[in-house]
Amino acid sequence: MKIDGLKRNQERNILIIGCGRLGATLASTLSERKLPVTIIDRKRENFRKLDPSFAGISIEGDATVMEVLMEAGIKNMSDVLVVTDNDNTNLFIAQMVKNVFQIEEVMIRIYDPEKQCIIKDSEIKTIFPALLATEAVEKILNI
Amino acid sequence: MKNNVLLIGGFHKAAVLSHSLMQRGYQVTVINENYEDCLNLSENKKLKVICGDGTKPYVLEDAEAFDHDIAIALTQNDEENLIICQLCKKKFGIHKTVSLVNDPKKTEFFHHMGVDSVVCAINTITGIIEQQAFMDEISAILPIGKGKINICEVTLSQTSPSVGKKLWELELPKDVIIGCILRGEESMVPRGDTRLIAGDLLVLISTIENQIAAIHILTGR
Repeated sequence: MKIDGLKRNQERNILIIGCGRLGATLASTLSERKLPVTIIDRKRENFRKLDPSFAGISIEGDATVMEVLMEAGIKNMSDVLVVTDNDNTNLFIAQMVKNVFQIEEVMIRIYDPEKQCIIKDSEIKTIFPALLATEAVEKILNI
Repeated sequence: MKNNVLLIGGFHKAAVLSHSLMQRGYQVTVINENYEDCLNLSENKKLKVICGDGTKPYVLEDAEAFDHDIAIALTQNDEENLIICQLCKKKFGIHKTVSLVNDPKKTEFFHHMGVDSVVCAINTITGIIEQQAFMDEISAILPIGKGKINICEVTLSQTSPSVGKKLWELELPKDVIIGCILRGEESMVPRGDTRLIAGDLLVLISTIENQIAAIHILTGR
């Protein structure tokens, strides 16, 4: 079991799209765990948010453009995390990554839970900060 | 048949399109994010105008999206257009969705994601410009099969090199066929031994790549 886990880690190749607070933190954490990480953002200055010890690759570009994704080596990626600050951009990129490039694990952050219906039938995994925060608050308040 | 059309985004396009659709008897609703644009659009009393972001489900609900038959996404942004069409289809059950797309390479992806009609403004405009540039030889081009095949009319003049020849004598490229010849009042389906004469109007069916080569052989230009 342990060997399987290790082997899986070695084959993993993670692409993060969007270098905001969440993207940068994820990239830094995963990089610290010795996982190969690539991060894409439209603006170079956003890479300042990355931890100084970040050992992955950072690419400046628009990830809604297929060529940029290909340049980032999308075909070799095992996981793609789409975490830009725009729901529409996230939904668009996630569906493109899943359907055009057939990536197995695609994860996406969506602020507006009402938009989930768009990817309801796909295998894209979603994270809703609002719902997570609500759960956390409920836990603290003990309701 | 309700004939209700929902237009999302795009001020000038929405204004012109809504005008022409209403003349044809459609009931049109427009969603626009810009308040000034909404005021301008609402000068037309018959037009229903909703001010808001069309990618937000509650805005679409305010616009009574579920009561429309066709949704047309006209924003500048490819991402927004796709999300609008998907929301209209999946959340509000709109039967037909049409989207504008800027990047021609994304057309197939849009189709794959369930958008019924994808209009690529860049491809359409360059197509028209090309057609205008070849106006002399070709009087009409009709792109079909997602623009891969063209049907066009070619008129032969006295000086065209193909005049007087039989069809099998012409070395037309592969994937080109002369579907029909209009000669005066007569129209005929040509065979290999049909002889071309000046004034013939040929209906040419071809792939885009071979079209220009074929026209060159037929007209010399």
